Amino acid sequence: MKDQSESDSGMRKHPIKPITLWNIIRFFITAAFLFGVWLIFAFRWDSYAVLSGLAGSFVISGLTYKVFIAEHEASLNSIVPWPLRLIIFFAVLIFSLYTSSFKMLVAVFSGKGSPRIVYFKTRLRSDLARMVLSNSITFTPGTITLDLNDDHLIVHWFFCNTRHAKAAGEAVKGRLERALSRAWR
Amino acid sequence: MRITLDIIAAVSFLSTIVFGTAGLIGLFRFPDPYSRLQSGSLCGTTAVFSMFIGALALAPNGAVAARIVILTVFFMVSSPTSSHIVARFIWNSGVSPWKPEEKD
Repeated sequence: MKDQSESDSGMRKHPIKPITLWNIIRFFITAAFLFGVWLIFAFRWDSYAVLSGLAGSFVISGLTYKVFIAEHEASLNSIVPWPLRLIIFFAVLIFSLYTSSFKMLVAVFSGKGSPRIVYFKTRLRSDLARMVLSNSITFTPGTITLDLNDDHLIVHWFFCNTRHAKAAGEAVKGRLERALSRAWR
Repeated sequence: MRITLDIIAAVSFLSTIVFGTAGLIGLFRFPDPYSRLQSGSLCGTTAVFSMFIGALALAPNGAVAARIVILTVFFMVSSPTSSHIVARFIWNSGVSPWKPEEKD
């Protein structure tokens, strides 16, 4: 949110921007993503579907690539994940989803828990990876990300057993962060 | 193969029922908004995710399966975002979390 408004005000100061290689790369990544989603949803391979999808994804990409990929991203690897490692990350995420769901199930019926708000840092560098990390922390029951400020996370943790920030970070996000740092650098 | 997929679907739908019911019970049992959101996420993510897995096991062909996978990915982005917005609003309005009275 904050970065978006900053880049918007920056654009207003310099209305005409030269066409850089980075803009072209952003444009084509956005178009490829849109076209892939279109192909999966349409699931037709005749020339009409493919060509209209291609045209539509190029038009939408031209309108929205500035929003889809932020300009200040460091490199290509911080946006495009390794596909195989992303699948491993999803497997880790689903595993931790079900384990923490069963813990939460027990907590609902016993009424026992030690909810507390913990603070810790992440060592991921890319914005997208940090967003995915905080989203997957919220995705697993038992932990909710309250705030993400650069690399500081504020998390409500239902099964808190430590006050140490590093230990809490390891317990909440250790496995997820390790799998993510392989997928997004 | 068919019977295996049917069993996977049945187990997934059963876990949907169990987690959905537990989340709903927790929504009324817990005293503070954070804990209610936690059990609401039990209902809102685990139950729905299990339902998607069951639907994926029952998909008749590859086209439907691919659409279900895309829907699951969109759901994995949108559902935590909405509960994060609610939690962030609670946090910014200064509600402190519930502390159960135990000896600890």
